[in-house]
Amino acid sequence: MQLFLEQLTNGLAVGGIYALIALGYTMVYGVLKLINFAHGDLFTIGAFFGLTLLLSLGLTSHIGPVAGIIVLVLMVMGLVALIGALLERVAYRPLRTSPRLSAVVSALGASIFFQNAIMLIYGARFRVYPHDLLPTTTVSLLGVSIPVMRIVLFGASLVMMAGLYYFVQRTKTGTAIRAAAIDQGAAKLMGIDVNRVIMYVFLIGPALGGAAGVMVGMYYGQINFTMGWVYGLKAFTAAILGGIGNIPGAMLGGLLLGVIEAMGATYISLAWKDAISFMVLILILIFRPTGLLGERVADKV
Amino acid sequence: MKKMLLIVLAGMLAVSLLVGQAHAQIRIGLMAPLTGSWASEGQAMRQIVDLLAEEVNNAGGVLGQQVQIIAEDDAGDPRTAALAAQRLSTRGIVAVIGTYGSSITEASQNIFDENRIVQVATGSTAIRLSEKGLRYFFRTSPRDDEQGLVAANTLKDMGFGTVAILHDNTTYARGLADEARALLVEGDVEIVFFDALTPGERDYSAILSQLRARNPEVVLFTGYFPEAGLLLRQRHAMGWDVPFVGGDATNNPDLVSIAGREAAEGFMFLSPPVPQDLDSPEATAFMAAYRARFNDDPASVWAVLAGDAFNVIVAAIEGSGSTEPDKIAEFLRTGLEDFQGLTGTIAFDDKGDRIGELYRVYRVDGEGRFILQP
Repeated sequence: MQLFLEQLTNGLAVGGIYALIALGYTMVYGVLKLINFAHGDLFTIGAFFGLTLLLSLGLTSHIGPVAGIIVLVLMVMGLVALIGALLERVAYRPLRTSPRLSAVVSALGASIFFQNAIMLIYGARFRVYPHDLLPTTTVSLLGVSIPVMRIVLFGASLVMMAGLYYFVQRTKTGTAIRAAAIDQGAAKLMGIDVNRVIMYVFLIGPALGGAAGVMVGMYYGQINFTMGWVYGLKAFTAAILGGIGNIPGAMLGGLLLGVIEAMGATYISLAWKDAISFMVLILILIFRPTGLLGERVADKV
Repeated sequence: MKKMLLIVLAGMLAVSLLVGQAHAQIRIGLMAPLTGSWASEGQAMRQIVDLLAEEVNNAGGVLGQQVQIIAEDDAGDPRTAALAAQRLSTRGIVAVIGTYGSSITEASQNIFDENRIVQVATGSTAIRLSEKGLRYFFRTSPRDDEQGLVAANTLKDMGFGTVAILHDNTTYARGLADEARALLVEGDVEIVFFDALTPGERDYSAILSQLRARNPEVVLFTGYFPEAGLLLRQRHAMGWDVPFVGGDATNNPDLVSIAGREAAEGFMFLSPPVPQDLDSPEATAFMAAYRARFNDDPASVWAVLAGDAFNVIVAAIEGSGSTEPDKIAEFLRTGLEDFQGLTGTIAFDDKGDRIGELYRVYRVDGEGRFILQP
């Protein structure tokens, strides 16, 4: 029982990160029907920007650790959002009327570009966040000791996801995003500036991905230029699991994928962990082809 | 106008051919992971090989000819490695250094063998690489069975009764884990856990929780340093103080920066000695040159073994007085005796494997330094 609970918290912690990144995939897909393969690299960029800002500004020593980390995460979110918007402007907007495959190729190209740019700027070696950044206290819960920071990070990702959900459901811009996701042409006719909506999507998704990057950097310490690949793949899987294009689906998919991985590794086989996750994904897609929370969309005739 | 252009171009081509002839060069290939997840290893390999090539050239070259290094990136990936090997084979090289990672080397072996190019691998320790009977394959790195033996003996000597073995399913890590397991079981040590993690991830706490539930006296991790660093760090955060022992792929100072000094302290690993720990004149001279150029110590022993590969190739070309692959291979096999390399003496057996006991045990101290154990 203790092992089960321990693995549940391990799974949820990883899943929270997957979910944050998955939101970026799902939002872009929802509006543009495009898989933004460069999204994992925006996550990496977030981790590296976080390190640079942390080392050059010394935020935590000026305004205290808690405020310092919050400011740091916000700054990184802003910077990565700008890069996301720039990416859309340069790599995707010129191709919006081209066949969908062109945009996919462009996304892959952007991913390779980002990866190499990070390697050339920061070097190929692993970079490390300062070790004394976060407190290492643990709390005991039902016989399971959980690091406090893990709860904080998990809470932070939940808050960000809840904020996004509120934004999309309750605000005017959010409504415009949802409208554009359903039918771009009709949204245009209703006076919605679709370009602007897409820009918002490319600000919000990357901001969340960047935040996940700093959080991973701070908590796990070690970052390198290829880290976006594994996280990107997992988050993409999570988005499909939950129903791509669906925001609560991405959150659910992320958390679920983290837990499936941890449980599969514990009770079935460690080496087969990823295979098990993908098997679950395939099974779910067989019985619910649109993912867990995805709705069946009528094909346009 | 077009004709003019053609004539000029033809002229330039002719001149460049002539110049090429005038400066005859011996080309040595370097296949290394210059990008990808092991890029830090590959770039260090290139730095060292370039440094040594420059020294050779400044001293008059080999057989009176300058040495030119042709580097190709294998990205630490078998598919890219096959392409890199094919590209290198068309570029007139007499021998190739590389590469890091057994599965990557394996993808290139047959291509070099078919093209009659001598290959001296540097960080590829899987046993089967030299069991195929390839005539032109050598390696400056030791084999997993030797390492497995040292690992098993070290664990037995330290008196551990139950061992957990964790690998990462790469050719190298799996091979070493299998070797060590077989020898430990023979020695009446109980293996309470044997499984693989997925490299490249950040959170290994699920694995650590599971390991702790099996309650081993020691954990033998046979994978690479990034994962080892994270395992140590997360083990420390869990408040679990089981000793960890690693294989030679954990010999990289980045291990300590990833884990943090506190978490890394006490970690032990097996490795060929780095030149910092040797007092032979070759190692000392190399360290002086390296420090003068890069203002640092070499990051990993694998990059230094690439330097050794370059040195034996040069020695074989000089010793056999020829750039014929058959003569070079023959010389490496029989002519090279007690060659003083950067990591100790080098000689090869019939299969192309390095002869002699190379492995040492290192321990990480409280300052994060790697201390050679007596």
